[in-house]
Amino acid sequence: MLTYRIGIDVGGTFTDVVGIASDGGQILAKAASTPADQSEGVVNGLANLAKALGLDLASLLARTERIVHGTTVATNALLEKQGARLALLTTEGHRDVIEMREGLKPERYNMRMPAPAPLVPRRLRLPVTERLRADGSVLVPLDPASLDAAIAAAKAAGVEAVAIAFLHAWAAPQHENAAAEKVRAAMPGVFVTTSAEVLPQIKEFERFSTTAVNAYVGPVVSRYLAKLAGRLESAGFAGPLFVILSHGGIAPVEEAARLAVGTALSGPAGGVAAAVALAKEGLGQDLITFDMGGTSTDIALIVGGEAALGRGRDVGGERIALESLDIVTLGAGGGSIGHLGPGGTLQVGPRSAGAVPGPACYGQGGTEPTVTDANLVLGYLDPANFLGGAKTLDLAAAQAAVARLAAQLGIAPMACAAGIHALVNARMADGVRVATVRRGVDPRDSALLAFGGAAGLHATAVARELGLQRAAVPLFAAGLSAWGMLHTDLRYELAQSAIGAGGIPEDAELRRLFDSLEAQGRSRMAGWYQGEVTAKRSADMRYGEQVFEIAVPLDGIDWEGPDLAGQLRAAFHARHRALFTYDLPEEEVVLVNARIAVVGALPMGGAAQREGAGGPAAPLGSRRIAIDGTALEAPVYGFDALAPGQEIAGPALVESATTTVLLRPGDAARMDERGWLDIALH
Amino acid sequence: MDPVTLAVLDNRLRAIVEEMGEAMLRTSYSQILNSSRDFSIALCDAQCRLVAQADHIPVHVGAMPWAAKAIAEAFPQPVEGDTYLLNDPYFGGSHLPDLTIVIPVFAEGALRFWSVVRAHHSDIGGATHGGYNPGATEIWQEGVRVPPIRLGEGGGLRDDLIRMLATNTRIPRDFTGDLMAMIGAARLGEQRLKPLLAKYGADGLEAAVSAILDLSEAHARRILAAWPDGEWRGEAFLDDDGFDRVDVAIRARVVKRGDSLTVDLSESDPQTTGFVNSSYPNMRSAVAMAFAFLLDPDVAKNDGAFRPVEVIAQEGTVVWARPGAPVTMCTSHCSNEIVEAIIRALQHCCPERAMGGWGRRFRVAITGQDARRPGRRFVWHLFQARPGGGGSAGGDGWSTSGEWHSAGGLKFGSVEMAEARFPLLFESHEYRPGSAGDGQFRGGLGGRLSLKVESDGPCRANTAGDGVRHGSAGMCGGEDGKPHHYVLRRADGTERVLKTKEVGITVNPGDRVIVEASGGGGWGDPAQRDPAARARDAAEGLV
Repeated sequence: MLTYRIGIDVGGTFTDVVGIASDGGQILAKAASTPADQSEGVVNGLANLAKALGLDLASLLARTERIVHGTTVATNALLEKQGARLALLTTEGHRDVIEMREGLKPERYNMRMPAPAPLVPRRLRLPVTERLRADGSVLVPLDPASLDAAIAAAKAAGVEAVAIAFLHAWAAPQHENAAAEKVRAAMPGVFVTTSAEVLPQIKEFERFSTTAVNAYVGPVVSRYLAKLAGRLESAGFAGPLFVILSHGGIAPVEEAARLAVGTALSGPAGGVAAAVALAKEGLGQDLITFDMGGTSTDIALIVGGEAALGRGRDVGGERIALESLDIVTLGAGGGSIGHLGPGGTLQVGPRSAGAVPGPACYGQGGTEPTVTDANLVLGYLDPANFLGGAKTLDLAAAQAAVARLAAQLGIAPMACAAGIHALVNARMADGVRVATVRRGVDPRDSALLAFGGAAGLHATAVARELGLQRAAVPLFAAGLSAWGMLHTDLRYELAQSAIGAGGIPEDAELRRLFDSLEAQGRSRMAGWYQGEVTAKRSADMRYGEQVFEIAVPLDGIDWEGPDLAGQLRAAFHARHRALFTYDLPEEEVVLVNARIAVVGALPMGGAAQREGAGGPAAPLGSRRIAIDGTALEAPVYGFDALAPGQEIAGPALVESATTTVLLRPGDAARMDERGWLDIALH
Repeated sequence: MDPVTLAVLDNRLRAIVEEMGEAMLRTSYSQILNSSRDFSIALCDAQCRLVAQADHIPVHVGAMPWAAKAIAEAFPQPVEGDTYLLNDPYFGGSHLPDLTIVIPVFAEGALRFWSVVRAHHSDIGGATHGGYNPGATEIWQEGVRVPPIRLGEGGGLRDDLIRMLATNTRIPRDFTGDLMAMIGAARLGEQRLKPLLAKYGADGLEAAVSAILDLSEAHARRILAAWPDGEWRGEAFLDDDGFDRVDVAIRARVVKRGDSLTVDLSESDPQTTGFVNSSYPNMRSAVAMAFAFLLDPDVAKNDGAFRPVEVIAQEGTVVWARPGAPVTMCTSHCSNEIVEAIIRALQHCCPERAMGGWGRRFRVAITGQDARRPGRRFVWHLFQARPGGGGSAGGDGWSTSGEWHSAGGLKFGSVEMAEARFPLLFESHEYRPGSAGDGQFRGGLGGRLSLKVESDGPCRANTAGDGVRHGSAGMCGGEDGKPHHYVLRRADGTERVLKTKEVGITVNPGDRVIVEASGGGGWGDPAQRDPAARARDAAEGLV
């Protein structure tokens, strides 16, 4: 009997459900997303998957080994400011940390921009009399009366969650723990979280903000995951439910509820996990993921086969300092609107037609030309066969919308459509350039991995603009995020600050620090998983007077060898040289954070192997398209029908139900037997 | 020029300066650059017109072309592979700590662009550490002067020249590291422009640049044309010059006719003995900054956008000092007061665009010994307890977001990190209730800090700043923010008020520096303030 693993990706419009069978077969099902309660769309998607497999839902779930889920519940709560009402208990004299935001304000020349409301209003940032020093010693003992007063105020305000964040709790958590115990006892049912538990790292703004976000999204995420688990259970699922986290690894549903802030990037994480899996399959060690959707485009880097991680990011204007995938989001996609900018030039975005009214060609009342409209006018999309024929596009409406803008610009409609297409390509390329140079990566050494509904029409133009040699579009492009969730490991990240007035702790202290972190990590992983577990050590280090730390992998360190501190110093100098071209051997080296990533390797299926039946597929037909001002007749191929090894030279179109790839003149595509269209650019 | 190519090139040029800025952030060494981002990046064309500039610190917005012009005058025959450097405020610079690297970009055998990188260095020699010398009465006491020099040719660099300059600073390693980061960023600009020049041709790109500048000019003029015509005056006062002058006036007469603006600063007070004088490029930049603040945020900050503004000033006034006068404070003061005077004038013309005053800078630097790190002298600069931003028709001001010249672009560091690395205890660091100027939309709150010094033996402190006599300006009927109030409280409880321009203050272990920072200025009649907003401020403990 076949068994299944199932990945579920909840998007803005569709919920994608991918099933991988024990014989390697893969199948994608979709259902409309249900924003009010995402679990409804999830169950509908599962039912559709069951139908496609000729099973009923209960029998599919009974045969399912594991389900991995990507959720946007935390992200949406942050973006829509729909999180829990919370109080912040904090060190007396420092209650404005989260609102001060280190003095930073975005948009230098936007002087009339209103300040955002903080997640916790000042009256619910409640002072507690206590104070630690940076070495963890107690300067002012925790005053029970002030704690009681704060708890009384929080209770009176009827909060659903309490965040506890004290200065220097990264060095010694005892005051926070004592306060948490008292809060839990006094306020049963309230979500309680402490800064030392969420992120035991020095730098109060980042730690306090991350803790406040955890309290803000915690109740919402917990409720949602409990509901989802309940629905799946009553539908017949008895296996483990995992959630993909912002760092690209997965964790059991209980962990995702505890550290809810760690799900803030759960949505786009699946695509990056897929890229890592495809890198292992032989796609290449250095990739740029290019996930172009309707309103935005996510870009991430795979370097040496691994996803680049960053030390934090803002979601919905709130700082989250957890280690997370370094995904750059550009505010442009297929739904972005082309318009005459205030400066008098053509602009694309940041406004988007969204799902309603959508592009003009959707015929739902949209009148402004979007990128999708321009692509339709240029002949790149088939009006009769959009989403596998599920939708018909209104070419005349798209042409009219483009013509209106063309008249404003004083150019021909086809030139205007080509302009929208070219401009969005240029913006994407600029976004990739900044994303790569910021991380010290030369994009020209990488291949562009394009997925998401809109990427295939833009991939080779963007790659050319960047000077890349190669681009790839997986056959599974539209469901790649859900697929990726089934190709990533269990992962638990821990960090601990270890900074004193000196630079690097002594050898014995270093060993103790890393050993204790690793023991904690392994012990938590043992609660989730009995298989093979590996631990990776790294450190955040910097020169004495620098402000930013850099991440230093500590793979080659001999932990029992002599002069451990010296080995760490040498590793840091080498890493600094590799990143910034210079090092400063005379300068003091400071270790700020010790880090451990504990990974439990799950069994994976490989990429979809294409069967080698029959010869090369003939084109389904041809379409008149315009490329760079030239009209030509391009053959149209069915993506699913391409034979392994089949080669196609551009110009051509390759279509499936969920994506279309535009091959430009000079593009040489080959259908790889591992399931992707591999395109060489000449 | 077709509008599509134009849009692509406009985006590309902006992306290049952004990429140069990222490279600079990544490779710079000193805290002032990699944390506080006190640097600017620009591309100018062969005629030294500002083509694109990355948004880092507003105070540099209009200053960069003057550096390119100074190089072009000093070296009329630049050669491919040359690298130029300057910092002298009387030869294209703003003030001595700001070094500027200028690299010519060639195509088809002729100069086409200048790639310009300016960065504030943490030390530039002179009489005091860190570049700010309130005691200076002439520029030679402020640091090393670098008129336009050729720092290298053929793609190479003159190591001997770099060593000579580095030797004249207190932290040669920072100086050299940051200089290399600047040169790297400027070279990146050259590398990115070359393929564009090849693809579109030098003439094609020049035509595109001219068209882009013209479009920005039209954009700015369209906005200006909607304002009523008239003539207005505004003045702003510096507290003092650190010597015998108090209430030094900056006076702006602004005339708006059609789609043009004239800013006349010539009635400003004579130049001063101390370092609050402005250099000419810095004054031009301050005017550009004020204008940029009043436009829409999406107007491209380039030569075209600033064409509608004519600037009139008199040499020998505080806004345009004669060669030899000290000017180091000018990127803060009187830069902020030039902006304030102009906005004060124009609040009557475009009230819905005017904003209450942002705070003034009042810096404190403390140096001494830490018992935990024997033998290592520490130097700590105050960035916490920032002043508030001004209110506007858009809403209340941003709290603790700083001064007009940085506008929320300078980050203050972590209190925990400061305590871990310096013998300092931040007893409290919160908003200063009541500091904001009242108005229909009030200013942002300033910060309040109680800092206990726990050094090993006595420390020495310097101050440099302004704003204890004059708070951030209220506009359109709004009230001024409370001025700064800095106090040195001795361990024995005795207190003295700190002045804004002092050197060599002795601070003993157990002494406290109590900072009460200015709130931002309010906007609009306080009687018009929404009662709900007043109730919220009261509940939040902000008044």
